[in-house]
Amino acid sequence: MIWLTWRHMRTQTLWTAAALAALAVYLLYLGADLREVYDRDIAGCTAECGQAARAVADAFGTPLLLLGLVLIAGPALLGAFWGAPLITRELETGTHRLVWNQSVTRTRWLTVKLVLVGGVSVLLTGALSLLLTWAAAPYDQVAASRFEPLTFAARDIAPFGYALLAFAIGLAVGVLARKTLLAMAVTIALFIAFQVLMATAVRPHFAEPVTETIAWSDANAVGTIDSFGIGPHGAGIQGYTITDAWVLSDYITVYKADGTEVDEDDIAACDQQTLHPDECMTSLGAVFDVTYQPADRYWPFQWAEFAAAAGLAALLIGLAFWRVPRGIN
Amino acid sequence: MDTPVIRADALTKRYGPHPALTDATLDIPAGRIVGLVGPNGAGKSTLLALAAGLIRPTSGTIDVLGRRPAADTAQLARVGFVAQDTPVYAQLTVAEHLRLGERLNPAWDRPFAHARIKQIGLDPAKKAGRLSGGQKAQLALTLAAAKRPELLIFDEPVAALDPLARRAFLQNLMEFVAEIDVSVILSSHLISDVERVCDHLVILAESRVQVAGDIDDLTAAHFRVVGPRGTLDTLPAGTDVIATEHTDRQTTLIVHARNGTRPDTLGQTEPVGLEDMVLTYLHRAQGTGAPTLQESTR
Repeated sequence: MIWLTWRHMRTQTLWTAAALAALAVYLLYLGADLREVYDRDIAGCTAECGQAARAVADAFGTPLLLLGLVLIAGPALLGAFWGAPLITRELETGTHRLVWNQSVTRTRWLTVKLVLVGGVSVLLTGALSLLLTWAAAPYDQVAASRFEPLTFAARDIAPFGYALLAFAIGLAVGVLARKTLLAMAVTIALFIAFQVLMATAVRPHFAEPVTETIAWSDANAVGTIDSFGIGPHGAGIQGYTITDAWVLSDYITVYKADGTEVDEDDIAACDQQTLHPDECMTSLGAVFDVTYQPADRYWPFQWAEFAAAAGLAALLIGLAFWRVPRGIN
Repeated sequence: MDTPVIRADALTKRYGPHPALTDATLDIPAGRIVGLVGPNGAGKSTLLALAAGLIRPTSGTIDVLGRRPAADTAQLARVGFVAQDTPVYAQLTVAEHLRLGERLNPAWDRPFAHARIKQIGLDPAKKAGRLSGGQKAQLALTLAAAKRPELLIFDEPVAALDPLARRAFLQNLMEFVAEIDVSVILSSHLISDVERVCDHLVILAESRVQVAGDIDDLTAAHFRVVGPRGTLDTLPAGTDVIATEHTDRQTTLIVHARNGTRPDTLGQTEPVGLEDMVLTYLHRAQGTGAPTLQESTR
């Protein structure tokens, strides 16, 4: 059974491995290059360090983002091109009726295919993820935004879970849909849906976020205000960044010391005194609430992400193992 | 070899509301070459897929060689199955198919497999996708036979073959059935094929088993009765009328004697040929009444 599985997957496995090897070589080069630049411009920086960091971010941001996208797309493609056809191709050519009548139970047949083909998918994706994590480490340290969805999903152990899940989606959808093309399309769609849902609706709630009340005078010590607006409806912060943490608040209303919102009259009063907006807010004793996931939750979230994907994958694999011995015609 | 090769009890398979096989009760003894005949869509493939364990019944039971089909490795090794259109892996060579058989079957008979491939004249290095229909069928047959099963099941093995390849395939089948001592079930909608190779018959139509038995017994138990109209309205006990045909003056009946011998009280009777008998059952199942027996419908 192992020989047969290998014989069926030989060509595509070798091609995929070759493509990934090329990618790995590029990652090694990129990682080495990034380290060299980092050591030269940032680690030993004495003046204009912020500008040096921005230069590194500009130079390496795009290739690392693209590699991250490749790493996120990889499992979807493996699920669609390896997972989905695993059973549908046999069904379409009728060869399941050949192989299921050899002296090998369908459970064993499916187990070997799943472990070998699925296992290779997970290992290839995982290896690429670890390599990218290594290559991007100095950049990630400078960028300080490891919860950024496209970064979080392309580092460390989360991609192992994605690879397993995408493969399991392909397998289960293949068992249910029985048509290769349909199964491939549905697999990709479901995997994208999973990624979007995790990033927007599920991941922010892995743990109860922390809500902290920050006094205006401390605003730029705790984090960074990206932009701040004063308008007829009061004052608000649009975008607040805390190093390596995941800020969940988008628009943050600013309150006065007595707990009421900063309003038009307060701002008009400041304008009359020609106060700088910053001074104005400080004089009002302004405070604001920021809701965020602290930086030290990165690893628990990585594990939770992996567990969610692996758990779903287990359900889908269970479905396939339940369905296949009962017959597909 | 005393265990029946197939014992089915009220075996039923439905796909949604559509019945593929209804209430099939069968007891097929070992050591036979069984022909399963019926029109397309009669449930032949369903019955064989149930016997091979490819699908599970909606209700009722089926035992193959005394056990549930495809229950485990040992049971799988006892049954060889060649599916309709004899699927093979297009990307694998003939030699790789033999390797597949060898690796996946504990009782694989290597000398037998290689001898057969040589005898048929297949090039071991050739991709199976490039074989002709007849060669594919032979390869699939070799794979199924070389695992040395106790029962070989063929689902319409010759349907896609031209007459020459069909004859060669059936000839081959007969040869090695004699050689390796195996029970065989094959389905066909061609009665002539069945007549040539089988000694036991199951007629399926409209998802139901119409009649089953050894061919010699069936031909002995079916006969044609001709009499003046009105004289054949009541028949002796133990007989079933399969078909009735009236002209102005006389009535012709095809009768089945359930205990296997024709009653003496019935007067003069004629034997019914196998093809006529089968067609009579098929027409009865379709509710189209008496067929014109002289005319071949296929």
